[in-house]
Amino acid sequence: MERSSMGLKLPEGMKDLMPTELALLEELEGKALKTCHNWSFQRVTTPGLEYRACVEPDANKDDYLYKFFDKNGHIIVLRPEFTTPIARMVATRLKGNQLPLRLCYSGDVYRNGSTRFSEFRQVGVESVGSGSDLADAEVISLSVEIMKALEVRNFQISLGHNGIFSGLADEMNIDIKLRKELEEGIARKDMVKLEGLISQSDLPEAAKEFLLSMPHLTGKEEVLDKLQNWNHIHAIRRAVESLRTIYQFLKDYGVHDYVSLDLGILRGFSYYTGVIFEGYLPGVGIPVVEGGRYDKLYEDFGQNSPATGFAINLSILLEQFSEFEVDNPEVLVYGQSPGTVVKRCRELRKSGKKVEMALGFLTDSDAKKIASSRGIAMVEKVEV
Amino acid sequence: MSSKFLTIALPKGKLLIDSAKLLTEAGLDCMFILEDSRKLTFDIPGKEVKLIICRPTDIPTYVEYGAADIGFVGKDTLIEQNQDVAELVDLKFGYCRFVVAMPEDSQPPKLANGAYDLSVLNHKRAATKFPRVAQLFFSERGMQVTPIKLHGNIEIAPQVGLAEMIVDIVSTGKTLKQNKLVEIAPILEATTRMIANRVSYRIKYEDIQGLAEKLRVLVK
Repeated sequence: MERSSMGLKLPEGMKDLMPTELALLEELEGKALKTCHNWSFQRVTTPGLEYRACVEPDANKDDYLYKFFDKNGHIIVLRPEFTTPIARMVATRLKGNQLPLRLCYSGDVYRNGSTRFSEFRQVGVESVGSGSDLADAEVISLSVEIMKALEVRNFQISLGHNGIFSGLADEMNIDIKLRKELEEGIARKDMVKLEGLISQSDLPEAAKEFLLSMPHLTGKEEVLDKLQNWNHIHAIRRAVESLRTIYQFLKDYGVHDYVSLDLGILRGFSYYTGVIFEGYLPGVGIPVVEGGRYDKLYEDFGQNSPATGFAINLSILLEQFSEFEVDNPEVLVYGQSPGTVVKRCRELRKSGKKVEMALGFLTDSDAKKIASSRGIAMVEKVEV
Repeated sequence: MSSKFLTIALPKGKLLIDSAKLLTEAGLDCMFILEDSRKLTFDIPGKEVKLIICRPTDIPTYVEYGAADIGFVGKDTLIEQNQDVAELVDLKFGYCRFVVAMPEDSQPPKLANGAYDLSVLNHKRAATKFPRVAQLFFSERGMQVTPIKLHGNIEIAPQVGLAEMIVDIVSTGKTLKQNKLVEIAPILEATTRMIANRVSYRIKYEDIQGLAEKLRVLVK
């Protein structure tokens, strides 16, 4: 049936990848996965479709999921990320395996309503079973090594901690309503609202001062010294100790030049419980790497495992490369008799050459023209 | 591009003068941008700063994508556009209020506490440039009012029967009076905000926070 004008279009946010783009994307993916394998992370994949009950159990929450019904009326969704599906997989299929598990993945994820990246390629890792600072340092260092392997210039990683706010909220017994509003302010990065809420709250002055200073604690290790006065608050002391230890390990890994500390990275309503980190590129408005520790997520799947990991948005990185190179064929084979042309092509391919075969008879000058337009270095005419 | 280079998006129209004044007070001399109303991008001499002039409603978009590192924009626009940007400072100028207004001759009855009884507005239509703000206001009150998106001259909608009420911003109330409309309910108050791209705010933290601090002191 002839396509209507709709049949020629793509749904919002979707795009085709041309040979040059796909070649580059796969090259980036290959380098990233190779680095993961060198660090002993094994690749897994989860299906494109999951139950909503797995990905987002809170039915009242606004989400960005593509949803469908299966034939029993259950809501299924296109995977928006890998971390949660992998938690499901580990808690069911890999139950009882020796921990820590080091897993990596690469695949497309789907976010409805995001006009820029409704479908994008994510590559990432999950380190399951270790709550140690070394496990965090390992995945942070791995993310740096991948960015280096991808030859991305000028990237930087910021390292913060998501446990400070929640720890402080627990310790201060902040009431539910205020806590929700604060989380919302944090999620929206609305400093004006946060300042208002905090300064009007009945929190102790010291806690107020600390919360207000958090977005401004950024720099190298010495930032942590500024937190010494808050040592009496358990959550803060633990976070600072963790960050200090991790930073020390990052020096051992030789990646600390790429990483700065930044307690201003805030993520509300998320599964992150400990350190969080983001990778930035100048001129790119959203983080290209997002990661951190999520010690409560596996509990939700009935397994008590601490975990840490990250995901890199390869589709954004792809946009940063302006020069595309495609792997061109090496020789164009043509001739009068298809039988001998096919035979010659088989010989050449067997010897490892990348071969393009002409599908019809070409004159010598046509063959040269085609070869040069496709970047094929050699032509070979097969005589009968 | 140098990582210190800052791009600032300023709103075209009535907020531009106050924005330029404030930036000038903060040490970024830019009153000259008011002289040529057709030019849309300016470099500030001697500073690593570029100014771009955009439609107010586009500013959150420029900032969200990182095309501008920071922007000045009304809280009204921020709420309506609902984009992912960091909101850093309340700049206090450009004060306005969102209200529900109706024609003088069809005001709803008043309740014992003196407020209007909004319940009679169920199943009615509200003409507005801000459908999201209108929808949030009514749905939070459990009301079913249909916002009708218009791009200007909201005031005439009730006169011609397009809608029973309007949801709009007022600063002095003069326009309402001229069109024989009265305020039925306040929705929220808005002032201009300094916003920043979430990544720029972290990688150009010192420059952006430095400017934010200066502005915060100036508007106090």
